Amino acid sequence: MKYFSALLIAVLMLVLFISLQEIPLSQNLMPVSSHYVDSGVKDTGATNLVNAVLFDYRGFDTLGEVTVIFAAAAAFKMLFSHRRIFFFRYGMSPIVKTGMAVYSPFIFIFGIYVIMAGHISPGGGFQGGVILASLSILLTLVYGLWYKVRQTVLSPAISSNIESMGGMVFIFIGLAGIFSGNYFLSNLGAGFFAGIPGSMFSGGSIPLLNIASGLKVTAGLSIIFYSIAGGE
Amino acid sequence: MKPTLIFVLLIMSLGLYCVLVKDNLIKKALGINIMEGAVFLFLISYGYRQGGSPPILTGSETNIVDPVPQALTLTAIVIGAATTALMLGIIIKIYKIYGTLDTNEIRRLRG
Amino acid sequence: MNLLISYIYYAFLLLLVITAVYSVISRNLLCSIIFISLFNLFMVIVFLLLQAPDVAMAEAVVGMGFTTALFTIAISKTKEEE
Repeated sequence: MKYFSALLIAVLMLVLFISLQEIPLSQNLMPVSSHYVDSGVKDTGATNLVNAVLFDYRGFDTLGEVTVIFAAAAAFKMLFSHRRIFFFRYGMSPIVKTGMAVYSPFIFIFGIYVIMAGHISPGGGFQGGVILASLSILLTLVYGLWYKVRQTVLSPAISSNIESMGGMVFIFIGLAGIFSGNYFLSNLGAGFFAGIPGSMFSGGSIPLLNIASGLKVTAGLSIIFYSIAGGE
Repeated sequence: MKPTLIFVLLIMSLGLYCVLVKDNLIKKALGINIMEGAVFLFLISYGYRQGGSPPILTGSETNIVDPVPQALTLTAIVIGAATTALMLGIIIKIYKIYGTLDTNEIRRLRG
Repeated sequence: MNLLISYIYYAFLLLLVITAVYSVISRNLLCSIIFISLFNLFMVIVFLLLQAPDVAMAEAVVGMGFTTALFTIAISKTKEEE
């Protein structure tokens, strides 16, 4: 069985290698990419081209990806529904707790910075959202689940509301494009503020979409972790 | 592009071998993770241009790498994480019902 | 890329293949997870050499933070309590 499957994989990879030689490679960009590079700053007002492609030219695909995270978090909440806190009941030793108390505000500020400066430097909604979710995982590991359930700012009960609010802000920004006469998720045609490219307050609706998807990713991944750590 | 293609196919075949042959369910989830890593590598190595600079305009670039495959890869990374998380949740539920994680045993017992 | 950077690039690709082989072969589950985390680390460095800083940041946080934590919790919940 092992040798037969190894032989099958070798034949498959040989066929793939021969057929992937037909990909045309040249030194110039594709026609689509050269249009994005030439008129990206003029159309959207953001200087980070990957963020501009992800949230303005292809904003509908980002909406689909946000839906995938929402579906995964909902499925998790359904699978692990009984509350049985058996792991991570108490935290770690006082040295770790004191060190974490000094260290965690800086991680929080860094995560918010990566979300908000997504249109002028590498970063964006997804990277900052996962940074904030991993901060939530770290606090649960160090301080224990009893502390996390009784908290009022980032408790598991509020995460569901934050996630729904993030999704709704995304859709309302898209609907504002329809109410002003353009298409869904239009950026500068719907009247959003486009300042000087390269400054903090620029880019039309791209910073708002960054914040919405960052909130959504944070809350979704936090719900996945709370369910799998404290559930049945 | 051609030497990178050989390495990408090597990593992909390792992941596929792990999914087909190994018995433990968690090892199969690890194999799917390795296959996704190979796909990300292929996508980004396709968009690289010789002597290029990162796709962030500061006003004085002449040669920029392709920004479209990077946007595709960014979405694919987050979706891969959600898929892996859901796979592990279902594996934990399977362990609670069957009591074992060996695929030969699970095929034999019937609930 | 000039010659020195292309040598470094091929060296990191070779390290990628070696860590993937070790992760598939080893019998201890915890060892396999640590090697997957190393695999994601070398992917981040290769992405930086291919001039893609956004993707490198996303892969670093997701691959080395979130996936490793979930795998470790799944292992500790599916072994027999002694």
